Amino acid sequence: MDKAKQFSGGRKYTNGEITVYWKPDACIHATYCFRELIEVFDPGKRPWVDMKGASTDRIIKVVNMCPTEALTWKWNDDERNLAVGADQTNHIKFRRPELIEKAELQGNESPVTVKIMADGPIVIKGSFELIYDGNKKEVVDSLVSICRCGVSDLQPFCDGQHRRIGFTG
Amino acid sequence: MRDNKEDKSKVRVEVEDWGPLKISGNFILKDLQRDNESTPGEVLLCRCGKTLTQPYCDGSHKK
Repeated sequence: MDKAKQFSGGRKYTNGEITVYWKPDACIHATYCFRELIEVFDPGKRPWVDMKGASTDRIIKVVNMCPTEALTWKWNDDERNLAVGADQTNHIKFRRPELIEKAELQGNESPVTVKIMADGPIVIKGSFELIYDGNKKEVVDSLVSICRCGVSDLQPFCDGQHRRIGFTG
Repeated sequence: MRDNKEDKSKVRVEVEDWGPLKISGNFILKDLQRDNESTPGEVLLCRCGKTLTQPYCDGSHKK
């Protein structure tokens, strides 16, 4: 059974491999989702998202077409999310980093790790205090990805453009 | 120092406006590009891409 669970800021749907988040108030009705993949995104059905309607690859592809943060996704295996590049435009870490903090990650107090990704961002994982733009946030058992190439439009967060510009370092 | 009652081991990540990323506290720094690992206590990491001492800030963002 596909389960549509309520969470603050919309709904989420999973096929076991990935979770797709839907934030209805962000939808601008660009209609890519159901024009491309009515088998999964059918506004006439309830629930309107059927995660069994297509392969994971296909669902990711169509979610990435959404021009807003109305549809976003993540791997259920947290480690895989670290390797997701900016070509995956609608991964939650690019569109809705606030979801990462709420993601159901294990609560064990593991040490904070700061990874300098090869030719990529700084990925900080664990529980820490994050201060930016005059805001102070508590990040709990989660991860953030900070731009290292200087080109991201989502500063201070990585949006994957390091690949496009061929950043090395 | 603003909160001296705060736990010193707590990791603090500060994005400096138009400057580097300052990280302090107990954390493990893993540099996958240069294949090394350390526990520096505090670092200033480059955010502009121009530093000549990757991954650390060398002040090049001001130039």
